[in-house]
Amino acid sequence: MATIGNNNINAKLVLLGDMGAGKSSLVLRFVKGQFLEFQESTIGAAFFSQTLALNDATVKFEIWDTAGQERYHSLAPMYYRGAAAAIIVYDITSKDSFEKAKKWVLELQKQGNPSMVTALAGNKADLEDKRKVTLEEARAYADENGLFFMETSAKTAVNVNDIFYEIARRLPRAQPAQNPAGMVLSNTPAEQSKASACCS
Amino acid sequence: MFSPQAQKEISYGFPSLIAQWKNTIITTTSTTKATHNTSNSWKTPCLNVKFQDLYDFAVEGNIDDVNVLNEVSERVRQQAKVWWALEESKGANWYLQPQISSNGEGISVASLKLSVLTNTISLRKLIRKGIPPTLRPKVWLSVSGAAKKRSTVPESYYEDLILATHGKVTPSTRQIDHDLPRTFPTHPWLDTPEGQATLRRVLVGYSFRDSEVGYCQGLNYVAALLLLVMKTEEDAFWMLAVLLENVLVNDCYTDNLSGCHVEQRVFKDLLVKKCPRIAAHLEVMGFDVSLVVTEWFLCLFSKCLPSETTMRVWDVLFNEGAKVLFQVALAIFKMKEEELLTAHQIGDAINILQTASHHLYDPDELLTVCFDKIGSLTTNAITKQRKKQEPTVLAELDQRLRRLNSVKLNDEQ
Repeated sequence: MATIGNNNINAKLVLLGDMGAGKSSLVLRFVKGQFLEFQESTIGAAFFSQTLALNDATVKFEIWDTAGQERYHSLAPMYYRGAAAAIIVYDITSKDSFEKAKKWVLELQKQGNPSMVTALAGNKADLEDKRKVTLEEARAYADENGLFFMETSAKTAVNVNDIFYEIARRLPRAQPAQNPAGMVLSNTPAEQSKASACCS
Repeated sequence: MFSPQAQKEISYGFPSLIAQWKNTIITTTSTTKATHNTSNSWKTPCLNVKFQDLYDFAVEGNIDDVNVLNEVSERVRQQAKVWWALEESKGANWYLQPQISSNGEGISVASLKLSVLTNTISLRKLIRKGIPPTLRPKVWLSVSGAAKKRSTVPESYYEDLILATHGKVTPSTRQIDHDLPRTFPTHPWLDTPEGQATLRRVLVGYSFRDSEVGYCQGLNYVAALLLLVMKTEEDAFWMLAVLLENVLVNDCYTDNLSGCHVEQRVFKDLLVKKCPRIAAHLEVMGFDVSLVVTEWFLCLFSKCLPSETTMRVWDVLFNEGAKVLFQVALAIFKMKEEELLTAHQIGDAINILQTASHHLYDPDELLTVCFDKIGSLTTNAITKQRKKQEPTVLAELDQRLRRLNSVKLNDEQ
C-alpha cells in the first residue's frame, strides 16, 4: 500500500508477466540505466528500490520483479499483496505473452487492491519488424479494463522512466500538504515530457 | 562424452589460483566505505576489485573479500591434504563404503558395524569441513545416492535418453532454450555454445525423465553449477536426478511449486523457534521472509552465495539431506541478527540479507553458525513439520485456483 508521510510516498510496485517479456530488463533500465542482452532469469522475485521526485511529492518505489514461468504464479500473491501499483508486462513480438498479460489483469482485478494503479507495458517496442500485437489492440484492451498503457523498450529506454513517473503521478496523494513551498521540486525531466503511448 | 574441465581445465593448483586472483584485478575503483561503518572508515578507503573466484565466476568485492578468498583457498589446500592422508591410511575410496543413511530412513542397529559407524561419523565431520574440489564428483555421487541410482538402469540410459530427446520440441524445451543464455551469462564457460549445449542436454534430458517436473526455472542454475563441479554431463544429470527425486522435498519444482510452499512455511516456524527476536521484529515490520528465502531454496543458494560457499553448502546437503537448507538459511539470518533488529523498513532488511549473502566468501564462517549456533535440527523434525504444513498449503493453493477459475467464468459470461 502506498504509505504517505508529508509528501513522501512509499509505494510497493510489482511487475508481472510472461517469462522473457522483459520485466527484469525494465527494472534494470529504470533503476540503473542499464540494459543487458541476456538478463539472468529471475527466480522467486528480485527486489529493488528507486526514488522519484515529482512536483508535489517524492515517491519511493519498492519494486518486486517476479519470475515469469507459469508455475511461479502460485507465489505471486505474496508479491502483489499490499502493492500500490503493478506493471503487467508483455512482449509485443509474442501473442502468447499478451494473453498471459490479460490473465494477470484478471487476477489483479479479482484479488488485488481495488485502488491499485495498474499499467500495461508492451515491451520490446524496438522490435517493430517482429511485432505480433498491434498498438491498437493493446490500447483498446487497456481502455476497456481501465489500465494505462505504454509501449516500452528496455533496450532503447523508450518510455521506461515515463511509465514509472506516470504511476508515481497516479498514486493517491495525502490531503493538501501544510507547507508545500518547502517541498516543491521543479524541472524534473520527466515532468516536462508528458507521457506518450507511442514508442516510435 | 563431454567434460567441461577438459574443455577448459579448471586446475586446483591453489598457489597459482591465488596468484591468479591477485593478477586478475581488472579494475580498481576507490570509494569510501559507507558511513555506518563508523570508527575508522575514513582512514581506509575501500578498494573495489573485480576478480575470478574458484569456479571462474567474475565477482566484484573489496580487498577484504579477496583476502578472505585467498585464506579460503589455503584452507581448501590443507583440507585436501587431510583427505589424501585418509586415503592412504584407510585405503582409496574409503568413503565409498556403505554408510548409515542420514536421510532419516532409520538405522537398523543390528546391521551396524563399528567401522561403518566410525566412517559415517568421521565422514560427516570431514564433509562439514569441505570436500576438496577434485574429489567432489566422486564423493557427491557416492554420498548422495546418485551412483546407486545410476546402477539400477542400463549403462546406456543417459545416452539413450539424449538420443531420444534429439530434435523434440516441447513446452519445456522452449523454456529451456529461452533460459540457456540467461543462466550465469557472465561465466566464461556457460557463455560458450558448448557450455550452453551441454546445459541444454542435461535439462532437456531431465525434462523427459520426469515430465511432471519438466523444466522449472531455477533448475538451470542448479544444473549449471553441477556441470561445473562434476566431471561429465552424465554425472551432473544423475546429481540433478538424485536431488529432485531423493534429497529435496517432493514437488519442490512441479506444477504449482507446492513443495516449495511447504518448505517456506516450515522455515517460518523454524525462524520463530530458533531466532525469536528476529522473527518478532520482522513480523512487526510486516516482512514476509519468503520474499527472500524462496529464491534461496529454489536455487539451493546458487544465486545468492559465492560459488565455493555454495559448493560447501551442497557438500553437506548431499550428505545430510535437505534439512541443511533450513540450517543455512537460519544461519544467514542469525549472522545478521543485530543489523536486522535495527532495520525499520522491508527494503533495508532485504538489503542487509542480500549484501550479507553475496559477501559470504568464507564458507566456514557460515557453516560454523549453521552447525554450532542454530541448535540441532533433525531430518525427522523437518519431516514432521512438513506433514503438518502440507494440508494447509494444498488447501490454500486449491482455493486460489478456484478463485482464478471463477474469475475466468465471470469474464466469459
